[in-house]
Amino acid sequence: GGCYLVSPYVPTLVPPYLLEEIPHWLIIYSKADQELDHKLRWNMFRLSELDCYSDMLTRLYKQELQLIVMKYERYRSALLQEIERRRHAAITYHTHSNC
Amino acid sequence: SLTRQPEEVFDIICKLGEGSYGSVYKALHKESGQVLAIKQVPVDTDLQEIIKEISIMQQCDSPYVVKYYGSYFKNTDLWIVMEYCGAGSVSDIIRLRKKTLSEDEIATILCDTLKGLEYLHRRRKIHRDIKAGNILLNSEGHAKLADFGVAGQLTDTMAKRNTVIGTPFWMAPEVIQEIGYDCVADIWSLGITALEMAEGKPPYGDIHPMRAIFMIPTKPPPSFREPDQWSPEFIDFVSQCLVKNPSERATAEFLLTHEFIGNAKHPSILSQMIADAREIRESQAYRNAHVTNNAKTFSANDGAYEEATMKQRGDGTLVPNRDATTDLAADLGTMVINEPDETLATMKRHDTDPMDTNKPKYRPLFLEHFEKKEVNHLNIGAATNGTLTSHIILPGDDTVSAGAGGAGVAGAAGVAGGAAGAGGAGALPALALHRALVEEGNFEFLSYLPESELEARVARLDAEMEADIEQLRSRYNRKRQPILDAIHLKRKRQQNF
Ligand SMILES: Nc1ncnc2c1ncn2[C@@H]1O[C@H](COP(=O)(O)OP(=O)(O)OP(=O)(O)O)[C@@H](O)[C@H]1O
Ligand SMILES: [Mg+2]
Repeated sequence: GGCYLVSPYVPTLVPPYLLEEIPHWLIIYSKADQELDHKLRWNMFRLSELDCYSDMLTRLYKQELQLIVMKYERYRSALLQEIERRRHAAITYHTHSNC
Repeated sequence: SLTRQPEEVFDIICKLGEGSYGSVYKALHKESGQVLAIKQVPVDTDLQEIIKEISIMQQCDSPYVVKYYGSYFKNTDLWIVMEYCGAGSVSDIIRLRKKTLSEDEIATILCDTLKGLEYLHRRRKIHRDIKAGNILLNSEGHAKLADFGVAGQLTDTMAKRNTVIGTPFWMAPEVIQEIGYDCVADIWSLGITALEMAEGKPPYGDIHPMRAIFMIPTKPPPSFREPDQWSPEFIDFVSQCLVKNPSERATAEFLLTHEFIGNAKHPSILSQMIADAREIRESQAYRNAHVTNNAKTFSANDGAYEEATMKQRGDGTLVPNRDATTDLAADLGTMVINEPDETLATMKRHDTDPMDTNKPKYRPLFLEHFEKKEVNHLNIGAATNGTLTSHIILPGDDTVSAGAGGAGVAGAAGVAGGAAGAGGAGALPALALHRALVEEGNFEFLSYLPESELEARVARLDAEMEADIEQLRSRYNRKRQPILDAIHLKRKRQQNF
């Protein structure tokens, strides 16, 4: 049917801290050599801040995860394309040599 | 009675099944003689606080939502006491009969499911884990939504702590993208579940879950593999669920008026299917009971069964079980519990029950991957044709493992660490250059590789990606740990004051 009921769309579940900008130092921390990690005194932060940083780390993790997956996706399609190209070339070669 | 220990209140009859976070048992409420289901989930003490707060689901009272009666803490286990659904989950039934469902069966199940969703959504509650595994049938064939609330919240909380991400195949694009979501996220999952019931697995169900996560938001909505096998009404129903833009997606209320649902038959049409599944369950339980004492026979049987499954569903309806060995181990574990165990002396356990449908269970590879403690790096670096070898740099290890043919070529893995290859083999570029090419998306070098190597590389992709992800995951877990420790400490202190 053509008639279509549209939901009144208001997202109710927005991940906490989603819109908050991740502090630069946390990004550095996430990538830095582990040996310096003990220098950070997490106890100095408030509980709510710690929760927030933990969530932000998850966000950073997922961002990096996506980069990895995308890199493999590109690589996969390049590999498949190259295989395809050779098969195609082989077929063309065959049909030509048959004539 | 809530102050009493749960084992004083219930008798555990047998195990019903196992999920990603715990096991479900059939139980008897001693006082009333009522049969119940109890999900036991191990939780750490930190989570107990959180769980106590979530009792919303107990307020739900609908014939289309599995009733929750309450929960207990037993040592480090959370016991969730709920309504027992005698026919098990829809995915159990598909798996047991090795048969996908007919349109009539699907319409009947979807009708009840939609009523359950309408009930929840009216109360602004989002289920968030709609899939055939979470639609349970009672013995009359009525479908009920399970795993709403505590279990769902729990999954969330656990996920947060372990950088685990849920099973992606049923997830709406907006959920994956984390741009905020609403009740209609469940409608997307329902559409995927409809395809799952019709085809035996969700779209992308046989590709790596990480790739699925990538594809769901970027590709057009999935549909049937063989559209001419299905009625236009069914196809339309699914396409109305699988609208990528959540603001344009149909609601549960609206879908209940859809022609496909309007034509749904009475749940009694499911009784044959339920009886068949029960029979298979019972004969499996019988067989298992007879191999309990003989692990060898058991494993042989198990293998045969799985092979049969794969053969029967040559169209790939059931996903090949990649970790047969782990599963077998898990099974044998179950068997061991079978033996009289002092710690369980107060409970009557009979694990060789007719409802244990764990085998062969559709298990997302994803979870398996995240549960894995170690990745076998050696496999990844293994030479495939004697001349070319992928190099892999182990975490915190600067040495480059040289392959049989001398210096090789970096795989796509692109593992961090800048050690340059010791000269290319023939016309092949050096390792560092080569890696840079992959990272930058310049794949010209592929034209220098023999075809066999190209194919070997395709075959290795998933494993290499997993190794990369595993490294990432463990780095983030290490980085998060001090924060979690600090949180834990502060919570403790708060409790003490
Ligand atoms: N209330 C119930 N009544 C009868 N059987 C149940 C009930 N709840 C769960 N089961 C059975 O136990 C199995 C395991 O359920 P569980 O919710 O732990 O895992 P799952 O739904 O398969 O996966 P996930 O952990 O992702 O939710 C189900 O497949 C079903 O067979
Ligand atoms: Mg479940």
